[in-house]
Amino acid sequence: MSTRVDFGRRVLVLRRRRFAARFDWRSVVICSVLALAVAGMAVLALMTGSFQLSPGEVVSALTGRTSGLVRDIVVEWRLPRVAAALVFGAALGVSGAVFQSTLRNPLADPGIIGFSQGSYTGALIVILVVNGTYWQLVGGALIGGVATAVAVYLLAYRRGVQGFRLIIVGIGISAMLGSLNTWLILKADLDQAMAAATWGAGSLNGVSWPQVAVGGAFIAVLLVLAAMSSRPMRQLELGDDAAAAQGVWVSAVRLGLIVLGVALTATVTAASGPIAFISLVAPQIGRRLTRSAGITLAPAALVGALLCLAADYIAQHVAPTPLPVGIITVILGGGYLGWLLITEARRRL
Amino acid sequence: MTALTLRRPSDPGTVTVSGSRRRLIGLVIALIVLLALLVASVLIGSTAISPAVVWKALFHPTDDIDQFAIRDFRLPRTVVGLVVGTALGVAGALIQALTRNPLADPGILGVNAGASFAVTVAVGLLGIRNIQGYLWFAFGGALIVTLMVLALGSTRRGQSPVMMVLAGVCVGAVLGGAGSALELTNPDAFDAMRSWNAGSIVDRPLDLVWPILPFFGVGLLLAFAVSGPLNAMALGDELAVAQGVQLVRTRVLAIIALTLLAGGATAIAGPIGFVGLMVPHVARWIVGPNQRWIFAYSVLLAPSLLLASDILGRVVMRPGEIPVGIVTAFVGAPVLIALVRHKKASGL
Amino acid sequence: MTTTPLRRRGAALTAAILSVSLVLTACGGGEDTAGAKPGDTAAETRTVTAGNGPIKVPAAPKRVVTIGNTDLPFIDMGGAPVGVSGAAPSEISLLPADQQETYKKATSVGGEVDLEKVAALKPDLILVQIPDAEFKKMEKQLTSIAPTVFWGLDTEWKALAEQLADAGNVKDSLTRQKAEYESKVATMKQTYAELIKTTKFVNLDRYSNSDPGTYVIGDIGCVEIAQDDIGFNFPKAPAGKDPLAYTSLPFEQLTKLSQYGVITYPADAEGKPTEVFAPVVDTNTWKALPLVTSGHALGVFCPGNNSYGAVLRYLDSLDKALATLPAKK
Repeated sequence: MSTRVDFGRRVLVLRRRRFAARFDWRSVVICSVLALAVAGMAVLALMTGSFQLSPGEVVSALTGRTSGLVRDIVVEWRLPRVAAALVFGAALGVSGAVFQSTLRNPLADPGIIGFSQGSYTGALIVILVVNGTYWQLVGGALIGGVATAVAVYLLAYRRGVQGFRLIIVGIGISAMLGSLNTWLILKADLDQAMAAATWGAGSLNGVSWPQVAVGGAFIAVLLVLAAMSSRPMRQLELGDDAAAAQGVWVSAVRLGLIVLGVALTATVTAASGPIAFISLVAPQIGRRLTRSAGITLAPAALVGALLCLAADYIAQHVAPTPLPVGIITVILGGGYLGWLLITEARRRL
Repeated sequence: MTALTLRRPSDPGTVTVSGSRRRLIGLVIALIVLLALLVASVLIGSTAISPAVVWKALFHPTDDIDQFAIRDFRLPRTVVGLVVGTALGVAGALIQALTRNPLADPGILGVNAGASFAVTVAVGLLGIRNIQGYLWFAFGGALIVTLMVLALGSTRRGQSPVMMVLAGVCVGAVLGGAGSALELTNPDAFDAMRSWNAGSIVDRPLDLVWPILPFFGVGLLLAFAVSGPLNAMALGDELAVAQGVQLVRTRVLAIIALTLLAGGATAIAGPIGFVGLMVPHVARWIVGPNQRWIFAYSVLLAPSLLLASDILGRVVMRPGEIPVGIVTAFVGAPVLIALVRHKKASGL
Repeated sequence: MTTTPLRRRGAALTAAILSVSLVLTACGGGEDTAGAKPGDTAAETRTVTAGNGPIKVPAAPKRVVTIGNTDLPFIDMGGAPVGVSGAAPSEISLLPADQQETYKKATSVGGEVDLEKVAALKPDLILVQIPDAEFKKMEKQLTSIAPTVFWGLDTEWKALAEQLADAGNVKDSLTRQKAEYESKVATMKQTYAELIKTTKFVNLDRYSNSDPGTYVIGDIGCVEIAQDDIGFNFPKAPAGKDPLAYTSLPFEQLTKLSQYGVITYPADAEGKPTEVFAPVVDTNTWKALPLVTSGHALGVFCPGNNSYGAVLRYLDSLDKALATLPAKK
């Protein structure tokens, strides 16, 4: 447990050190509270399970004083799952923050360029046709997603890429892949089709340490890059002209940020399937909590981690039967986002 | 979700006499294409049945077994394709005009989500297992959910299209999640839903389809009735109001029409994607922003796309078939992409 | 929330008692160790071989968890698992009443397997038949709970029954079922020798994921047994796709069925077409088929095709249906 919490703190410290000036008192307090909530949720998740363990047993398993099944359950099953929820949730929160701030659109999503449908196609082929392993699945999802995004970009390219054309090509390609996915699911053996659909819903079931480690390493690098680019991001939020006036190379920075956002989502999607709505909701909640004008990364990351942990807790222990975490995030996130945007718009109108 | 990304002020352009004639000629061509596809749909199938037998089956019916195949299978799917295609096309034109978004899909206000969720409940919790049973669940689900979205998206000052779309996306997400939860915990429901989700116009007995037709009729009448006000609204709400358009009434009527058409189509055929998005969009490229022309073209082009896809689905894997809902995207998307690459794309 | 674990424990206890008593009755009080303390039996092991290699299992396992397709065959052989996963309600409803009881008494460990729930059941044996990739994902965790025996989805049903019975220590009832099955097959071979020689059969089916307006000709399911074991002349699967193959055909193709002598189609226990197959029977083309009007289309009940008990019930149904065939002129 200690390693995981340290990881969360380290990111926070790093950011605070770099951009200390930007953090007002409220943000610091909110982030601390969020970090505490994340830690609390993580502890709760470690304590809870169908296999009943007392807090004492959990602690002694974590400190290495127990061996056998109890140790396995705590250290090999629950802990990597908690770590995965935390790291992936944070990554999704930051990905959403980067996207929304770069495109200045609260509903911006890597799905526009066909990434999600493409990665699902890749995963389906690995699960249904190749009957492959976890790492092949990761590869399939990545290749599918990236290949689709590149195909959309190339098909939309005609003396430059124009936004409107990119979106239409994206819709067309997504529709074709969506049909292909429906067809693959339809024709597959029921058990395999359900396994594939579970992946498609986004699930942390059976996550193991090597999986968290590889995904986490990628995400750590990307998060550092995101933290480093938070200054130009804020400048972009002021508008292209203002940013250019401050010496920002707008188009290059924007492209870089988009790639960064996609890479974060892509890593999570490849590792655990598309866990929806966290990237949309977390930055919004973070912004409201800190009452900051723009999107900030640290609150988005913390809210993302908290949401993912809580959703996975609900999916495992509150739902009548265990569900993929993505189903809970869709229901909660969709509901919350709808409520938020609608009440806000009502107030404005 | 992509729905919000583009909104452009429109330019209705000047309608010239020659432009009108050009559109009329195009309309006649579209009509001929549709008629040809209707004939082809009855003639082409998994088994080879001679045109003479087809003729006899339709006009001099006997109890010959091949004639049954024509009357029971090919004729109904052709009629269903025509009806469902028309409904989807006009529904797509309505939603694109209503949201002033040339990329809106008729499912965006929760029609598909409502229909799918209702069918999942019917399958998963009530154990219903046939098309006949799904039909009214799907239609009811589509209607109720669209009403919910309408209520959620309404403010004191009437309905804002953006809010409606948002509400649609969110309601769709919640229902979609709940539906998957049901499916993934009940293999029977999953099995039935993966088939329904593909979208098909086969094995829908016509006596099931007739009761939906009055709803389509009302939907089509309403759609053409609001086409004028929608034209005015394309220029902006203020200008439309200045021309005497009642915004709230137009929007509500348009949404009712849209729900009847898209909801009915989804109830009959399951979620058939892309037709409602692509056809009105392409129609707009051909005829410009006049809503009446777009409706007229959509009425002819959408069933053509659906029937062409259905026929293609019958021949590519002979003697097997591919459900039309799978094929539409593969027929439509390349056309759309080719068009967007070669034509200067026009916003709304 | 608080009552759930209690209820679960109660169910597990019941199941445990039940399984112990079952083992007792099955072994008829021989030299077996079921009456001894659990610690003793755990020490006694046998080695069984399956899809994941040779596995050491307890000689007389008492708390068995079945995951995937092993649950129904294991129950069919008289096993009483403490935990089960994933069978569809439609499959359960086809089981004999006593087997349904056994299934319901077991704790469900979920469609997406809840490993902690499996561990909480404290099983001494886990029997698994799921897709290979799925198994690889949880192999390590399962083996850390209890000895885990795995079969891939492509395991042939008789081999599965054999190995499952061996691992789960229900060989006696398997032997009984097998004997009954073999005698049934022999009798049917004799009774229908003429039909087997002279008649071309075809088996129609529809699956719940079949596209609307299509039916299936294939040799998956119960028909495999009629074809391979009794020797009825059903169309063979296209070469290369053997043994699991089917062709999905649109209803139009029903008109081509006249080349066969007898049609079999899926029916429920009462002989009525199954709900999934009903759309075929409802078509005018079907009603006008000469084979149908002359009574050569037979509804046959197939409650499952991967264990002897289920297959026996299929053969009974087939036997009864064939007996109704009009005599040859």
